[in-house]
Amino acid sequence: MITLNHLSKWVTVGGIRTFLLKDINLTIGEGEFISIMGPSGSGKSTLLNILGMLDGFDEGEYLFLNEQVHTLKEKHRSQLYKDHIGFVFQAYHLIDELTVYENIETPLLYKSIKTSERQAMVADMLDRFQMVGKKNLFPSQLSGGQQQLVGIARALITKPKLILADEPTGNLNSKQGEEIMELFTQLNKEDGVSIIQVTHNEKNAAYGKRIVHLLDGRIEKIEG
Amino acid sequence: MFKNYFTVALRNLKRNTTFSVINIAGLAFGLAVFLLIMEFVAGEWSANRFQKNYDTLYRLATTDKNNNTGYYIAPGFAPAITTKIPGVQAVVRVADGIGDGVLTATGANGNSSTQKNFRENNVLYVEGNFLEVFSFPLADGSTSLATPQTMAISENMAMKLFGTVQAAGRTVIMSNQFGNTPYTVKGVFKNMPQTSDIQAQVLLSIHTLENAANRDDNNWADPSTTESGFTNIYVQLGSNANAAAVAGGITNTMHRINSNTAEQNAYLQPFSNLHLGPDFSYPYQTYGSLKLVVLLLSVAVLILIIAWVNYINLSTVQSFTRAKETGVRKVLGASRWQLSFQYLSETAIITIVAALMAIVLVQLLQPVFNGFAGKELSLAMLNQGWFWLAGVGFIIVGAILAGGYVSFVLSGYSPITAIRGKIANSVKGIVLRKGLVVFQFSISIIFIIATLILYQQLEYMKTSNLGINLQHLLVIKGPTVSSENQAALNMAFKDKLAQTPFISKFSASNNVPGVGYNFSAAGITKLNPQKGDDKKNYFMFISDEHFFDTYAINFSQGHSFTANEAATGWSNAGKVIINEKAAAQLGFAHNENIVGKKILWGKEYEIAGVVKDYHHLSMHQPIEPVIYLPSVSFVYFTIQTDGSNMQAKISSLESMYKTYFPGNPFEYFFADDTYNAQFSAEQQLGNLCIAAAVLAICIACMGLLGLAAFTAKQRIKEIGIRKVLGASVFSITQLLSKDFLQLVGIAAVIAFPLAWWAMYTWLQDFAYRISISWWVFAIAGATALCIALLTVSFQAIKAALANPVNSLRSE
Repeated sequence: MITLNHLSKWVTVGGIRTFLLKDINLTIGEGEFISIMGPSGSGKSTLLNILGMLDGFDEGEYLFLNEQVHTLKEKHRSQLYKDHIGFVFQAYHLIDELTVYENIETPLLYKSIKTSERQAMVADMLDRFQMVGKKNLFPSQLSGGQQQLVGIARALITKPKLILADEPTGNLNSKQGEEIMELFTQLNKEDGVSIIQVTHNEKNAAYGKRIVHLLDGRIEKIEG
Repeated sequence: MFKNYFTVALRNLKRNTTFSVINIAGLAFGLAVFLLIMEFVAGEWSANRFQKNYDTLYRLATTDKNNNTGYYIAPGFAPAITTKIPGVQAVVRVADGIGDGVLTATGANGNSSTQKNFRENNVLYVEGNFLEVFSFPLADGSTSLATPQTMAISENMAMKLFGTVQAAGRTVIMSNQFGNTPYTVKGVFKNMPQTSDIQAQVLLSIHTLENAANRDDNNWADPSTTESGFTNIYVQLGSNANAAAVAGGITNTMHRINSNTAEQNAYLQPFSNLHLGPDFSYPYQTYGSLKLVVLLLSVAVLILIIAWVNYINLSTVQSFTRAKETGVRKVLGASRWQLSFQYLSETAIITIVAALMAIVLVQLLQPVFNGFAGKELSLAMLNQGWFWLAGVGFIIVGAILAGGYVSFVLSGYSPITAIRGKIANSVKGIVLRKGLVVFQFSISIIFIIATLILYQQLEYMKTSNLGINLQHLLVIKGPTVSSENQAALNMAFKDKLAQTPFISKFSASNNVPGVGYNFSAAGITKLNPQKGDDKKNYFMFISDEHFFDTYAINFSQGHSFTANEAATGWSNAGKVIINEKAAAQLGFAHNENIVGKKILWGKEYEIAGVVKDYHHLSMHQPIEPVIYLPSVSFVYFTIQTDGSNMQAKISSLESMYKTYFPGNPFEYFFADDTYNAQFSAEQQLGNLCIAAAVLAICIACMGLLGLAAFTAKQRIKEIGIRKVLGASVFSITQLLSKDFLQLVGIAAVIAFPLAWWAMYTWLQDFAYRISISWWVFAIAGATALCIALLTVSFQAIKAALANPVNSLRSE
């Protein structure tokens, strides 16, 4: 599904080129569960952002479903990630002004899905995450774990092939974190959704079938 | 989708109450002012358009070789214009300002016990076809005033006189300078709309004056005269007639009938140019002022632009708090277009709420504004022509531009930057926003300077030495309803005034300073005139011997008239007094002793004295050459008192007046009030400038507040670090304020030359004017700076006091 060949990204400060990512080669198949680990500043989030097409790169190539991402036009590229990728964030990034229901519904609005269909999809999702009773609450009225559940529900609503999660359990206590990891595992196994997560936590990383270790912008090793 | 946008917009407005209130209030005030001024402009634009003959009506004007224009034309030319010139469909003579006097209604069956007296100044002598050519619909009776001693009155007047509009057939006695003449009411017309430049409560048939008995020796008012110009002549042309050709025909006719008009050319001023000229350099007199309309329109548009600018500033500042939302929405798949649309719909909601508030504000401010404008305006004025369309169009375009810019900026951030809340660090749009603040403050400073200079000029005109004294002078209007022994009564009243203890000085004159002269005349020369001297114009003023003393007008040579000279009148006495301007225009040398010298005006007159030049009218006009003619005239009595306890004095004067002049209403004014009323236009403009300045500053400060909040947020980390390193609150406040003061400085540099130019141009309208002094600019700059400092330091101190732990902890 994803192929990275000699991918590099850098910033130039004071005439000196500093590599954020250097010569990354990685192939990820459909249905995989990958964890990316590494210390702060090793380029984990940068890599995730590039995979999510939210950020560009300077060298190399990125193939997503056999499409050359860097040659795609902005419009086509955003279409590609809208259709196939869901994002989950460490800080949940729910929209404060919207209720649980509306937050989950938002991605569908941008895909111009009909009202009746939309209602059915959101209702299914609320059901599945057992949040029907909370659908009219605002994010500030939920616990962190519940917020992250809403975040995941929102990522899943468009039925993506791939979920990119940036430290999804970083703001949660260990019990809530475990629940989220269980959920990811279940999604990966039962729904066949590919998952790539960035994490600091060895225990959480172990949920992945493969663990990519980054150090100073390079792949240090790949476990599994 | 729309529902979602709408919900989010409303929730956002609710969450940021302060921001929403400031933003909406700024916009609402801007819109309200825009609407109020548009009402005024619409009123000016619509003037006279209700006339069904609007496109074919003209006012006859004359121009002489010096490009002086005249509008009072001798009525005797009218018959020839009607009959001899092809293309002319109708001619209407209208004499204003000569008919004012007192109307007395007799009871339904001539019962005089029910009679009522009203003084009315709005009296016109008109051609018989007046109500047929002009569109003033009738409420009762018929239109024709072709018969002498017929009249038409307004509904208002009918109600006053008869308590009903059904007044046709009733009789009214009109007492004015032409004696007491009974008139039959032919028609009652609906009150003339305020959009009409022709205004009257009473229309008298001009044919009445054809009978010498109805002129009371005022033979200049004979409607067949081609010598004295006292009527406006309106001409209605056929639809195919060429106005220039007809004007040429009128010129020839006038030259043929009276060779004195040889240097005059006729011009037909179309009704479409009667109220507002087609351009600033239009040489003919208009009832409205195109300059004022354009000026007001610019103020309106500027204020609205300032309000939009403010909206842009505040909304983009607001965007940091929404950066995350923007980023998340982008990640969730929102296209830039979709996001823009969302922000645009928020602008739309804010605009609509602001517009509704503006309409409420307009209702509240309407009475005050009408006071300023001196008109009865309302939102209904906008209900015509393209005004709604233009107004609404302008508002929509503004909303789209302002909202469009905001949404363009917001939706343009990359999702990663936005989601991490780092928009504040982005420099995008900061230059523009600073530019907008500079723009707002430039406008504000210009308004402040304009206000200061305007009031300086006003103060200068009010307080500088006019050469006369107007203080404690009470002016009583003389009687117009005359009795048989009127002359004797007048003299008796004068004697009574002389005996009244609280009156220190008094005089009787035919006009008073600040109101006008009596008439103007040419053909006055020294005994040995130069060629062309007889074409020079002099203003004639009729007064008694006490006039100069009462108004404290100084003589540079000679003395006032004697009582005997005044009593016999100028023609018999053969004496005149002239001012220094007149002496110079007559050709006497400066300081030449001319008392006792003779001048020619039909016959010889001896100069009894020369008065020092004084400002008879306001400083708009230069001092004119004036010749004073002795007479016992009783149009105005001017009384000097010590100014204390005026109420008691006035009521005692009233009872005196009523005894001597029964049937005449007692009317009075203070000389200085009437004189100052000449500045009412400047006073209005001054009020408007103050209002505009205050509003512009308020709105600009809102923008500044927004920008200051933005900067404080943008530099929050820097401030935190500086505090940890030991910076004081004062030094941080200083750091944050400095940049803004620079902006105000730049605004001042831009505003000064513009304001100087605008006010210099404005001052050229005054014959006597102040020079613009540098400290006006200093004050304006300092004011703007202080206000800006207050606004900014509020935010800066808040930022400086914040605990650095909070700002440094993030990330």
